[in-house]
Amino acid sequence: MNFEVGTQLDKIVILLYFTLVMGFGAYFGKYSKNTTDYFFGGRRFAWWLITISIVATGVGSHSFVKYSTKAYQYGLSSTMTYMNDWFFMPLFMFGWLPIIYYTKVKSIPEYFERRFNTKARYLATLMILLYMIGYIAIQFLTLATALYRIYGIPLMLTVVLIAIATTIYMHFGGQTSVIFTDLIQGFILIFAGLLLFFLGVQFLGNQTGLSGLNAFWTNLTPLQKLPLAHFNHPPDFNFVGIFWQDGIAGSVGFLFLNQGLIMRFMAAKSVNEGRKAAAINVLCVLPISAIVVSNAGWIGRAIANAVPGVLPLDLAANDVFVAVTNIVASPGVFGFIIAALCAALMSTADTLVNASSAVIVNDIYEPLSKKEKSEKQKLEFARLTSIGVKVIAVILVPFFNSFDSIYEAHGWFHSTFTPPLVVGVFLGIFWKRFTTPAVIATFLGGAFLMVLGQIYPELIRPFSHGIELRPGRGYSYIGALYNIFVCAGVGVIVTLFTKPESEKKLNGLTIFDVHKLKEIFKGSAINEEIGEKLVINWKLDDSNSDILRFSKKDMNMMKANPGDLVYIQDSRWWLGGLKSAHSIFGKPHNEDGIVYLNQSHLDHGQFVEGLSLKAEKEM
Amino acid sequence: MDFTQTWLPFLYLYGVGGLAFIFGMLIIIKSRALRLTYALHSKWARVLIFGFIFYASIHALFIFIAVGSK
Repeated sequence: MNFEVGTQLDKIVILLYFTLVMGFGAYFGKYSKNTTDYFFGGRRFAWWLITISIVATGVGSHSFVKYSTKAYQYGLSSTMTYMNDWFFMPLFMFGWLPIIYYTKVKSIPEYFERRFNTKARYLATLMILLYMIGYIAIQFLTLATALYRIYGIPLMLTVVLIAIATTIYMHFGGQTSVIFTDLIQGFILIFAGLLLFFLGVQFLGNQTGLSGLNAFWTNLTPLQKLPLAHFNHPPDFNFVGIFWQDGIAGSVGFLFLNQGLIMRFMAAKSVNEGRKAAAINVLCVLPISAIVVSNAGWIGRAIANAVPGVLPLDLAANDVFVAVTNIVASPGVFGFIIAALCAALMSTADTLVNASSAVIVNDIYEPLSKKEKSEKQKLEFARLTSIGVKVIAVILVPFFNSFDSIYEAHGWFHSTFTPPLVVGVFLGIFWKRFTTPAVIATFLGGAFLMVLGQIYPELIRPFSHGIELRPGRGYSYIGALYNIFVCAGVGVIVTLFTKPESEKKLNGLTIFDVHKLKEIFKGSAINEEIGEKLVINWKLDDSNSDILRFSKKDMNMMKANPGDLVYIQDSRWWLGGLKSAHSIFGKPHNEDGIVYLNQSHLDHGQFVEGLSLKAEKEM
Repeated sequence: MDFTQTWLPFLYLYGVGGLAFIFGMLIIIKSRALRLTYALHSKWARVLIFGFIFYASIHALFIFIAVGSK
């Protein structure tokens, strides 16, 4: 279906937005001094900064397009994938998060090497890269689908232009740029989504003569008001299939295997800040995000019910978002909302590109290099890698464009790529007995049985919960249950016939050791006494050691001893830890209210002369 | 609207999802990753349980509203 969208003003607004974000991201490049900063942001940020940047990562441009489509077709049940992530929070917050934070693994595959062996690491690397690069391709496709209608540029050329634009600010900035551009983009996309809802409700009010919200609500049928889909019908959108594909495989994949998300949590200044970010995100931000990404579809459905003919009858699935926005928003505002779609794309794509680079550098480049590489070489390689990742993603775009809708392409993706990794990481963390041969068998044997399931859908029938089999297209979402079952089955059976790993090898890598991880991280007994946080002035000394020296009185107030870990940050709270450093308490001096730090702390923290710092004991 | 459209998905979601949640709570307590004797951990345990009830309540509320609407 063809329809004209956007005016000159809209085009200018979108271009201005791209320029602003690229400049913003490039500015924060100065905070990336080495690969730890480039990938992890230096483990220094406050929970609220991590939360907002997670929003922008979780809400991709595909979210706007795919959820609007399902919201238009089925109503409020489009939100169910945003509202089913709480079940795994205990395991994430008190199992996986402390493990990855305190063991200082740089990537998920590195965990597989430590827990199992090098072979497991390479298999995990391959699967994770396939998953992330495919995800980036879906992001490119989504935004290009919207923009090529506005600018009239061919779809693939639009994809290439978007890839180049995201490369520019990523290239210079790394994770700190990603977090700060995501902060601004997170706000923009939530505001734009809610603005669209407001405009849509107003439009409905004008068309029907009822008050806005009343016009919206009364023009949805009872079925469209249900928050969960029909149990097992139709095949392209049913509750039970989507529960296994998204609520189980997708949630575990997102929380435990999404390298981009993991890197966000590793950029938090402490595990507790990471927990706060995770809890606030799932409890408060995800329900708001569900409204933000779905409401164009709900408004479109209410418009179609109330005023038939306003929206084209043959509206294509992926066009719902753009078509509805075009109707309810005035020129300029339409451009702003599409710019928010750009925000969603760029923030999700940049996180995934950065994460893919981290995996390639940490899990392929470094282990395979014969000589030790300098930080500069690794950083340069990381930047080149991010370009390579985008090139492959662009090449994959036509494949994903062949699905009926982006929702289905994404669903296929989750149910196919996550189960072996989900089973591998889950059994690895929560079952000490799970062995190295078993994880290899899970990856290879499980993948083989999954392929069999794709070729012979009858194998999936016992798991189908009565979902209809579509001739020639198999089972889509419920395939995730079969895939998890066969992978777990292979893993459990092989484990029972192989020798368990030694306790020494597993030390600190399973949930059963989480209680002693802090001690492993610190390297000595931990000091759990709760002390005060102090606002303090700083002076530079010429020491080369990584220690900070406080007065005896200040250390007493913080309940700190020499050798304990300390975190200092610029005392302006709204910087969220951007200017900060971690270090160790040294021997005390006698000048109260003063901390002595060295040039390296100053370079890393970018502290400003004359401005005070806030200091706190970590452990 | 019949049961397969209204309460069956809800019961399945909080039945199967609830099992995953309870398994998670038990394992983090048993492994001492979550220590209820620590004030901070005890607060987190309450947040975790609240989150489960919060989502179940939202879904139940909307099902009631949809079933009762015209």
